[in-house]
Amino acid sequence: MKKKFRINPIMKKDMMVGARSIKMSFAIMGINAFLTLIVLFVMATNSMVGGMSGYDYSSLSYLFLALGCVECGLLSLIVPIITSGSISGERERQTLDIMLTTPVSPFSIALGKLGSAMMVVMMYMITSIPVMAIAFVLGGMSWWALLGLFGMLLYLGVYVGSVGVFCSSVVKKSVMATILTIVIGVAIITITFVILTVGLGVKSYEATLNNANNITVGATPMIMMLNPYSPLVDFFIRTMSSYSLYDLIKETGTLSAGYSKIYQAWIPISLVLNLLVSFGFLKLAARNIAVTRNKRRK
Amino acid sequence: MLEIQNLTKRYGKFLALDNLNLHIDKGEIFGFVGPNGAGKTTTMRITCGLLKATSGTVLVDGVNAITNPEDIKRKVGYVPDFFGVYDNLKVMEYMEFYGSMYGMSKEDVDEIAEGLLELVNLSDKKDVFVDTLSRGMKQRLCVARALIHNPDLLVLDEPNSGLDPRARFEMKEVLKNLGAMGKTIIISSHILPELSEMCTSIGIMEKGHLIASGKVDEIMQKSKGSQPIHMRAIMDGYDTEEDGREFLSTLLREQPNVEKVTYTEDEVLIAFNGNDAEAANLLKGLVERNVLVSNFYREKEDLESLFLEITGGAKE
Ligand SMILES: Nc1ncnc2c1ncn2[C@@H]1O[C@H](COP(=O)(O)OP(=O)(O)OP(=O)(O)O)[C@@H](O)[C@H]1O
Ligand SMILES: [Mg+2]
Repeated sequence: MKKKFRINPIMKKDMMVGARSIKMSFAIMGINAFLTLIVLFVMATNSMVGGMSGYDYSSLSYLFLALGCVECGLLSLIVPIITSGSISGERERQTLDIMLTTPVSPFSIALGKLGSAMMVVMMYMITSIPVMAIAFVLGGMSWWALLGLFGMLLYLGVYVGSVGVFCSSVVKKSVMATILTIVIGVAIITITFVILTVGLGVKSYEATLNNANNITVGATPMIMMLNPYSPLVDFFIRTMSSYSLYDLIKETGTLSAGYSKIYQAWIPISLVLNLLVSFGFLKLAARNIAVTRNKRRK
Repeated sequence: MLEIQNLTKRYGKFLALDNLNLHIDKGEIFGFVGPNGAGKTTTMRITCGLLKATSGTVLVDGVNAITNPEDIKRKVGYVPDFFGVYDNLKVMEYMEFYGSMYGMSKEDVDEIAEGLLELVNLSDKKDVFVDTLSRGMKQRLCVARALIHNPDLLVLDEPNSGLDPRARFEMKEVLKNLGAMGKTIIISSHILPELSEMCTSIGIMEKGHLIASGKVDEIMQKSKGSQPIHMRAIMDGYDTEEDGREFLSTLLREQPNVEKVTYTEDEVLIAFNGNDAEAANLLKGLVERNVLVSNFYREKEDLESLFLEITGGAKE
């Protein structure tokens, strides 16, 4: 068979169908309206604080942080909604069976569904550029920061989207899939956080037992690399200040050279790990897609 | 073409297919008949590589559907018993979408789809949104869709269910044309007469077993001759209704092949064991005796009676 690059057919179809529904236009308009409100709010409060001494434009760089966080937050809510019906919807519409009689593999179906969600994410990012630009023009942020943010948003979209597609392959109802996606996300965040806190707690307890001034940090914070938001945190710290997540970890105790290297490379390592996790979710989704059921007559 | 050997399928403990054996030649239109739950859909889904068998083999053109589900997908086109279409998608785009799933280029799909839409009589609907099509049109569109990759075997699961007589007729025409083109087709239904008109051979399935199979004529021959005849006659010349009935009954019982005569509210029901020519002779005989026959028809062959016959029962 001839190997040729082709757009995933499912993604192509979903984009065409999606573009024809008015829902998406409204969603994108709503999101940008929300972002604009935030800009206006920050600028208004800023001018009040500035008072007679004139307008302090440099503090507008915090707009970047505010908008960035809001965008991540919105993305984490929107992507579960977009992907929630991706598989369950095909099942409900009884089109999944037909899809499975074609040579397109279940994994490609999952990938196509993720791809169509990412297209919406991209649209959402692109349309938000004008609003984001305010923070750059007025606040003096570099365009690299925006590019970085978009990279981060894309990654986050892939992660949340994979979980979303997986949930859609498990649950029948779209609403349940949305909720399940958010629950899984919150669970991952909570579990990594609890492990970190307990781990560091144990370490400091040992330190007091041994009368040591400092705890040896070791590998415990690495668990946070599996927290999908940790690279974003590092990214925001790095763009807004001269610090990084590594500096924060360093302050908690002594750190060997090897671990230092690892924590300094938090963003790439964490990105790779989390993308592997999303790949795992997609694989699981593919497995669920492949299981077909005989529809029973009422 | 299609060779099913010792196919067994269990859903948990439930045995849906029990050592099924079936052989279908190339170019045949095979009718798969059986009551609800007989295992028709199960057999078809295994043949399409959608469902895993518990044991046994299914060979389509020598390719094993159970071990090579990926290869089978290029050889088989499937129209499921229940299926849906997408909103916001036009007929031609629908075809293009499924064509692209087989890795076909837009140009190739357009060319082939053109011909297929003509075949299923939907040429004038190319730019119509699929969800606005009628049920019958959707069914035909789905047949065209299943043919987009030029499969060797076409599997249709109850393509006529839920269609009105007109739509059924149109579907039948489509399938006849496909048969004429030399496609191998499997059609399931629980209505035998419908299948017997367009199929070349038939298999009757019950509870996971194939209880009879063969050429349509052979099967129909086995069952011919026991459908009752319904008749109405105008009996005005008699004093009482009773007298009229009495006369007609006697007359009928004298005729060959008549086994039993009963009266329903407004009809005479004749248990008749002859073929169609003999039934025609019965009518002729009555008319010659000046009976004013106003209505005379033979009950259609139905699955139930055929079943009972084949399995040794008798229809009352
Ligand atoms: N997913 C399933 N789980 C459990 N049992 C099933 C499943 N699918 C089918 N069955 C059972 O297997 C038997 C065969 O089902 P199948 O759908 O193949 O029958 P059919 O001949 O197509 O009937 P119908 O005329 O209703 O379409 C039925 O008794 C059905 O209840
Ligand atoms: Mg069925």
